[in-house]
Amino acid sequence: MSTNQWLATGNFNTAYQQEQRNFLTHLDRSIFSIFLILLYVWIPLMDLSNKYMLVVDNILIAIVAVMGLNLVTGFAGLISIGHAAFVGIGAYTVASFCQVIGDRHIIITHFWPVMIVISGFVGAAFGAVVGLPALRLKHLYLAIATLSFQMIFQWVINFMSFFNQGQTIFVGRVFWFTGKVGRKDHYMFWYFVILTIVVILGFGIRNLLKTKYGRCLVAVRDNDRAADAMGMNPGLTKVYAFALAGFFAGVAGALHAYVYRGVGFESFTLHESVGYLAMAIVGGLGTLNGSFWGPTALKYLDLQVEHLSEVAGQYLPSTMNLSTAMKPFTFGLVIVLFLMFEPRGIANWWRIAKSYTKLWPFRY
Amino acid sequence: MTQLTISDVTLSFGGLKALSKVNMTIEPGLITSVIGPNGAGKTSLLNCISGFYHPTRGDIFYKEKPLTHASPHQVSNMGIARAFQNLELFSGLSVLDNLLLARHQNLKYSFWHAILFFGKASRIEAENRAYVEDVIDFMELEPYRKSLVGNLSYGVQKKVEVARALTLAPDILLLDEPMAGMNLEEKEDIVRFVMDIQKERGITVVLVEHDLGVVMDISDRIYVLDFGEVIGSGTPKEVAQNPKVIEAYIGEE
Repeated sequence: MSTNQWLATGNFNTAYQQEQRNFLTHLDRSIFSIFLILLYVWIPLMDLSNKYMLVVDNILIAIVAVMGLNLVTGFAGLISIGHAAFVGIGAYTVASFCQVIGDRHIIITHFWPVMIVISGFVGAAFGAVVGLPALRLKHLYLAIATLSFQMIFQWVINFMSFFNQGQTIFVGRVFWFTGKVGRKDHYMFWYFVILTIVVILGFGIRNLLKTKYGRCLVAVRDNDRAADAMGMNPGLTKVYAFALAGFFAGVAGALHAYVYRGVGFESFTLHESVGYLAMAIVGGLGTLNGSFWGPTALKYLDLQVEHLSEVAGQYLPSTMNLSTAMKPFTFGLVIVLFLMFEPRGIANWWRIAKSYTKLWPFRY
Repeated sequence: MTQLTISDVTLSFGGLKALSKVNMTIEPGLITSVIGPNGAGKTSLLNCISGFYHPTRGDIFYKEKPLTHASPHQVSNMGIARAFQNLELFSGLSVLDNLLLARHQNLKYSFWHAILFFGKASRIEAENRAYVEDVIDFMELEPYRKSLVGNLSYGVQKKVEVARALTLAPDILLLDEPMAGMNLEEKEDIVRFVMDIQKERGITVVLVEHDLGVVMDISDRIYVLDFGEVIGSGTPKEVAQNPKVIEAYIGEE
């Protein structure tokens, strides 16, 4: 029987392995491929200024971090309000290397992919340690435990001279096959690097969620008693969830250190942690694509608010700094509105849009 | 050979004795029922076996291996599955995923295989998916395969609960009131499944149930609990004539 592989209608799986595919139809796969190619192509074509390139890079870094947060908070249901601290762990891993071996050492500048992976694993190790209270604590109490980790992190950074007491530690410019990545290409170069990392990690999560290592997270969230009775070790699973989130945060932190070419403590405060949580909620907790929507939406909103307050600021006395007032206000408003009207986040809109197109061209 | 031995199990919460010196033997391949009035300690007993509680005194042996201090996931790995009285399903997942979760310990591939998802992980997932399909077929859950468990009706959820325990491929199945809150038709369905589980799959069933009619009809052996003590045991006929049991259920004149 020849079937049309481009549409979902009329096609039936005949083997269980067909169910495991990432893309059910050729159409899905093509749309995704074109979208991915566009992502790689549009930046050189647009020729954005460095200011906007930094925003785009920032969005991608936040996506990496929020993917991790979504695993621990969205899928495993363990609220973590110390995620910026884990990102900080990753960034300060790079910074520590810079302090010890110098910020222009060959390991920092030439072997930066290795540094990024190392930062990920350091983040994972810290994540596992911070996850240990999850063996005993639940819900709000666990959130407080992660909050305390955030506080400990900030204090340690601020008071240790090794970390320059929170002042910026410089990270050298990296080298690519074409030579040193200069000031002009810096943000462009990192855009491609981070985008590639996001794609790899995204597929990693996608695969993980199809297997027992992903399902056990959801099981622990929905009912850890039953998960225990079904042969999963809930304690181990929770620690594993935190380690996984720590890995993503560590990678995001290392990328942050390289993109900003420096590490300072103010990028990893409680405020940032709440920001990541907000991105996860706006994007949609417990969904993979939510991790992409959330950071994009909130960072874009940030940019627009800045524009707006710039325009509005011309009509106001110069003593009033509208931008600093508007940012937290809109940020808070968006979160409240999302919690009230769309607690499942932007990912839910995506789901609805997709279910409309699924049966196309038939109505039902 | 006795499959499960419960010897002198005492469980106390502070001053309250939920179980006192309970002795039981569960024979392989039979349906053993535990009955008793509300608060008699039936569910506590199941919790002790499945590892959620640990007996204050006494021991539980499974094929001569002690599981007194084992945790629930260790117990289920040994081959004792449990269906809960109050539904404890993963309500945010589909029926299929609920059952696949019960295959957790049988999915033997590494984390790195899972991330890359080719070869081994894919093959083992497909194998276990086939096993789950077998259980879905057995429990007649085909219409609900992909629907979210939270959206299903109570009767179907109960069936999913039993199916999930069955997916663990256990030697002993502990069923905690699988028929509570169901209508006659649904009850008949579950009874049929319980008997099929025992006869076709050769699984030992331990049944906790309030419906005496069902219990008397299908059990091979019955234990009667009252206030945490075993007040009678034997075949349904013996138990029905036991004066202590009659007293506990109907009261003295």
